[in-house]
Amino acid sequence: MRQGLRLQRLPSVQPGVALGMRALAIAIVVLAASLVLLAAGEDPLALGAQLVTATFSSTFGMEDFGLLVIPLILTGLSVAVGQQVGAWNIGAEGQFLLGAFAATTVGLFVPGPAVLILPLMIAAGALGGLVWILVPTLARAFAGVNELITTLLLNFVAALLVYYVSTGPWRDRVGMSNSSTARITVEVPEFWGLVHWGLPIAIVMALAAAATLAFSRWGYEVRLSGSNPSAAAYAGIAVRRHIVTVMLLSGLIAGVAGAFELAGTVHRLQGGISNNFGYLGIMVAVLARNSCVGVIFTGTLMAFILNSGIILQTQGITTSAVLAMTGAILFLTAIGDELAHYRIARAGARGS
Amino acid sequence: MIAPQDRYEPAPGTAPLVQLKGIAKYFPGVAANQDVDLEVLPGEIHALLGENGAGKSTLMNILTGIYQPDAGEIVIDGYAREFASPLEAIAAGIGMVHQHFKLVPAFTVAENIHLGWSETPRLASARKLEARTRALAQRFNLHVRADALVSELSTGEQQRVEILRVLARQARVLILDEPTAVLTPAEARALFKALREFASRGNAVIFISHKLEEVLEISDRITILRGGRRIATHDAAECNHRMLARLMVGREIVLADMRQRPVGAAPRSAAPVLRLESVSALNDGGNTALHDVTLDVHAGEIVGVAGVAGNGQRELSQVLTGLRRTKSGRIIVDGTPLQAAGAAEFGELGIGHIPEDRLRSGLAPSMSVATNAVMREYKKPPIGTGGLFRSRAATMLAREIAKAADVSVPDFSMPVRNLSGGNQQRLVARREMRIAHKVLVAAYPSRGLDVGAINTMLRYIVELRDAGAGIVLISEELEELLNLSDRIVVLYEGRLMGALDNERIDVEQIGLLMGGRALQQEAA
Amino acid sequence: MELLTGILATTLLAGGVLALAALGEVLAERVGVVNLGAEGLMAMGAMTGVATVTAVPSPALGFAAALVIGALFGAVFALATATIRANQVLCGLALTLIGTGLANTIGRSYSGMPSPAVFEHVRVPLLSDIPILGPALFSQNVLLYLIYIILPVALHYLLFHTRHGLNLRAVGENPAAADAAGIPVGLIRFAYVTAGAALCAGAGAYLTLAFVPSWSDGMVAGRGWIAVSLVIFAGYRPVNAVLAALLFGLITSIGFVGQARNWPVAAPFLSMLPYLGTIALMIVPVLAWHKVRRLMAAPAALGEPYYRDLR
Repeated sequence: MRQGLRLQRLPSVQPGVALGMRALAIAIVVLAASLVLLAAGEDPLALGAQLVTATFSSTFGMEDFGLLVIPLILTGLSVAVGQQVGAWNIGAEGQFLLGAFAATTVGLFVPGPAVLILPLMIAAGALGGLVWILVPTLARAFAGVNELITTLLLNFVAALLVYYVSTGPWRDRVGMSNSSTARITVEVPEFWGLVHWGLPIAIVMALAAAATLAFSRWGYEVRLSGSNPSAAAYAGIAVRRHIVTVMLLSGLIAGVAGAFELAGTVHRLQGGISNNFGYLGIMVAVLARNSCVGVIFTGTLMAFILNSGIILQTQGITTSAVLAMTGAILFLTAIGDELAHYRIARAGARGS
Repeated sequence: MIAPQDRYEPAPGTAPLVQLKGIAKYFPGVAANQDVDLEVLPGEIHALLGENGAGKSTLMNILTGIYQPDAGEIVIDGYAREFASPLEAIAAGIGMVHQHFKLVPAFTVAENIHLGWSETPRLASARKLEARTRALAQRFNLHVRADALVSELSTGEQQRVEILRVLARQARVLILDEPTAVLTPAEARALFKALREFASRGNAVIFISHKLEEVLEISDRITILRGGRRIATHDAAECNHRMLARLMVGREIVLADMRQRPVGAAPRSAAPVLRLESVSALNDGGNTALHDVTLDVHAGEIVGVAGVAGNGQRELSQVLTGLRRTKSGRIIVDGTPLQAAGAAEFGELGIGHIPEDRLRSGLAPSMSVATNAVMREYKKPPIGTGGLFRSRAATMLAREIAKAADVSVPDFSMPVRNLSGGNQQRLVARREMRIAHKVLVAAYPSRGLDVGAINTMLRYIVELRDAGAGIVLISEELEELLNLSDRIVVLYEGRLMGALDNERIDVEQIGLLMGGRALQQEAA
Repeated sequence: MELLTGILATTLLAGGVLALAALGEVLAERVGVVNLGAEGLMAMGAMTGVATVTAVPSPALGFAAALVIGALFGAVFALATATIRANQVLCGLALTLIGTGLANTIGRSYSGMPSPAVFEHVRVPLLSDIPILGPALFSQNVLLYLIYIILPVALHYLLFHTRHGLNLRAVGENPAAADAAGIPVGLIRFAYVTAGAALCAGAGAYLTLAFVPSWSDGMVAGRGWIAVSLVIFAGYRPVNAVLAALLFGLITSIGFVGQARNWPVAAPFLSMLPYLGTIALMIVPVLAWHKVRRLMAAPAALGEPYYRDLR
């Protein structure tokens, strides 16, 4: 017979505890990575200092960092929005690519003044992302097919498509590269140094999404549909319609991310343009606990992590290593989220 | 009670089959069991009586190894035992048939019987298992279909499978948790007969129930639990209704006849406020769940719907509230037939719904109390003006509802699942009552609540009736239906078997209608 | 005629990778845990196979090493999902990220080079002389027989004709019922998730030691995900899963033929076929009629953590 302390599982998690768990997860992974570096003969503290200087003390550093923030906030927003109705949009990577693809189509083949073409490119990007999530959305809404896998498989298809056009029919004939398209002349204007207007637009989009969810009637219905579809149906809400709308929105946002990356940062369509932003967006959303405002902050954090990987490439830390670390953080966060439910109580306590 | 000549008389000095001494068990926020003693002798049927939440199921979960006690001892046949898992309890001869069956719906009867059983042959093809099952069924005289999928069985049949499972494993102590909740009166009688036979062979039965009538009928001794403690143990012969009720609840209960109208209450209207006309509807699986149902609900009356769960009650409440489309027939509200109306329209018309499973349909557990409270009125001003959702107005409405429901909410932004079951149910009830000016459909409103909470719910319903709404009360508690309804209809296999005026009702009659065709089969 | 043999042989090889991974996934999902880390496990297995064989030129050892690595990662995953009961989707995605990331990082030094040792072809006397079928079916590496015959038959028998199989299926269908019947739910989930993960990693080793005998960055290319989808399409049954994998092997094989023979369709589009095919196959069964839906139904408790001592 057990006396003394025992473990109890509570039904809800306190937000403070959940955020604390995430910080702990990141700390553990960073610590582990430092130990690995130490074992390989490197000095993690020196590397850390190098990172901070490289990122924050030069304009170049800040610009590189800032350019990474834009796509990460947007893909994070895309995944977080999808999660409002419980949908797992793992296809943000592919929708990103289709957004870039659609924007490229306009950029390369539609003549006109920049003031007209640029909005058209972004709109095309939005449409591209929406189209790419359409089939998985309909399959989920009408046939109950798991969207996680369908959206993800389309990532590979999108990558093949972009690879095809950028090394084939749309290959840059003029330049030296044989794996990207010609440079697209229409560009997103600069906002701060190299960082383009995509940044404030991304932040505004995130805030707008958060406001809509919290303060509009539609937002209330969406939140209810995601939390408990049966209860939403009981309240007379057209759950299926909301699921479709929100999933399409999620794809649209990822498409916009791709369009901005193309028109603002890279200016050419090429194979690696999506750069794992779609998958990292999942991380951004999970760290932010699917909060649309939160992705602004966790997107920035993720950009820092990614940027660090790029800076430290000379020290042998590749993007793959950063992805692995991101995976480890996700893993520990998932465990932490479950453990956050538990508390230690004294046996015999008439607790509250 | 067993007739004296059939009783098993243990030899003098025989240890009790089961002894629980000083058992305690705690969960977050509640002491489920405290200092509970229980003694069960061979040959006896021992009832465990108490209201919902008294700790009966918890105690039995401890005895069967599902929970570990925080304090106390388990003694079987005179030897102290610890059951770290259900397997150990089964090996000691303790078998339990739970209120919610622990069967695998996708498996056949034979597969379920042989699950987790050491005597199942290592190489077990479907045919072999079915043959063994038939042999077992014959040996214990329990009729089951070995090759049928459990998901296709009626609840009565499923219960037989559970009992056979337990008996096959040489159980000497059979524990049944609220077994008659899912049986017609005739099936219940058959069960009691089987139990008496079992006990007469030197085994014991622990019978958990909150129904005074059947506890007095079947048991030799009765132990009453209240608030997690053992209050008393008596021989059944010494007990009567009133005494047991008082021990169960801790105070005198006056079972008021709630059908009496106070002065000024709205009278029963002449014309029906809601009418189902020859309505048929399909269930989720595509089969017909309601056949040609015609039902009138008048303002100021309570219509009780009796019947064993699973005979179309769910579909009926869904059709009445717009959650399910009808296949044929019409729904007429205040004389106007409805055209393609959904749940939202029904709500706007003034039809409220207290759902069967509040956590699954009526509430979004992870969302805030305020969000849940305004679920029916979020489109109306002041919350829903201009396509917005004003959360401050929502919180104010939530406060009003919580006050009316007598629920103290420390923080309206906390998840609603943090509230207790009774609080949740009252919140849902008052939320629905606010919009239910024409009709309230209440499906099993007292399920899972203790007597105090049940009384409150029923008072709300009566209050609404007196204010002029029509109530459809779907319940499996005959006592409750008789107490409240002006008229009672019985649902059997999707058909309405007759409407009886409460004045002229006879429980036997209702029982017959509830059993419907089943009764004819047994006679054949 | 050589073409047919070639197609058949490639079909078997390409399908073999998917089949082994799918079998591993069936084990995990039958006890109620959805393992979305299959892709990462395959990557780790693929890299481990090549790395081992570079050190010790024994493909059998390489395969075994991959199984061990898979079991290790699988055990950690099982600990998180079955024991601690963390969210299975997140843990699976994390495992995929960790697996592919680690494999690409550690495997950089092996990238692009052919595997020093591969599984040799074993010729079955007489049978391998049958025209067309012979060389394709009976002159293959040993693992093929394991994947296509021994494992599916053994797993089918285990799941549907033994007492143990009945118990473990119950864990995936209704863990509360299994628990009440005395079956150790947590232990079974842990064991089979780990075993399934080992098989997934083994599939990766098969990829680099038998099919495409070399390792390169990102070569798994979604095969793990296709395997997960195949399991759904196959109704969670081992024999069906292997047959479905064979179908995909055929699709892949046709794509290769198209590329080799300069069909008018560009290579990238042919490469898209397996992914598009998988999506189509995921949607089609659901639109099928009710009886088929029930036969193919997922274990009822798939993806849900099981808490026993809970109010």
